[in-house]
Amino acid sequence: MRPIRVLIVDDSAVMRKIVERSLRQAGIEILEVLEAGNGVEGLAALQQTGVDLILSDINMPAMDGLEFLQGLRCLDNSKNTPVVMITTEGSESRVVEALSAGARGYIRKPFTPDQVKERVTPLLEGVR
Amino acid sequence: MNPALSEKSAARFRPDATWPTLIHAAAHEVFQMMVGTEVQPGDFPPEPQKGEVSAMVGLAGTLCAVFRIRCPQDVAASIATKMLGGQGDSSQVCDAMGEICNMVAGNFKGKISGLSDGCMLSVPTVVMGGDFNVYSTGQERLEVTLTYDGKPVWLTLEISN
Repeated sequence: MRPIRVLIVDDSAVMRKIVERSLRQAGIEILEVLEAGNGVEGLAALQQTGVDLILSDINMPAMDGLEFLQGLRCLDNSKNTPVVMITTEGSESRVVEALSAGARGYIRKPFTPDQVKERVTPLLEGVR
Repeated sequence: MNPALSEKSAARFRPDATWPTLIHAAAHEVFQMMVGTEVQPGDFPPEPQKGEVSAMVGLAGTLCAVFRIRCPQDVAASIATKMLGGQGDSSQVCDAMGEICNMVAGNFKGKISGLSDGCMLSVPTVVMGGDFNVYSTGQERLEVTLTYDGKPVWLTLEISN
């Protein structure tokens, strides 16, 4: 697998750094990390360039993770990009909603690098 | 309103004797996984001190409450630094404390069967400083005190149901 380009969408800059560090600790080689503070910024970043993987929070101001997922499916360069939701919410209904909207998996906060690896690695098997 | 919230909001949750233990367990997991520090039950006076950091998250739905974490500023700075793998700075203290509060509150409600789907969290609010009071309409108050590297962290759940 080649090094990947990843977009991390979270309104917390601290959490974006933790997610990036967890990916690296999970042994995933990263070529470039794009960061966005909400769904609007995430979609804007993807209009410039595509990525191999997207990790997104659900609860965010301006545009939440579920709206971001819907917007993503309208972008030709990103509509098939795997998205993993990262959420504090233990709510099953929110998780089901995200999976129905196209998310390929979810990670609950708090999380360990091993949990990130378990969720993300299978989604990167097609990256060459 | 979230449909799950409106459907289930009629059934209110009431605290019981297990909740302080669940709050502690939720905090222990968050600090262990995200900060890399073991927190233990502590015994510190609850009176506010100068130079504290308070992070608050609202819960609405089947449980109406405010969850608050407060600690001295040096503890908050340590938490932020550890969360960022030793690379944090003071500008990230509020962000880190808000995330810790959010995760502990979310982890706590996930430990109570049936609570998660009917109870939503607000975005966190963080206040720095000591010369302020927090007024709440809470009718019940649960407080858990933890020891973080020998220093206090207070967790409070003020319930308004």
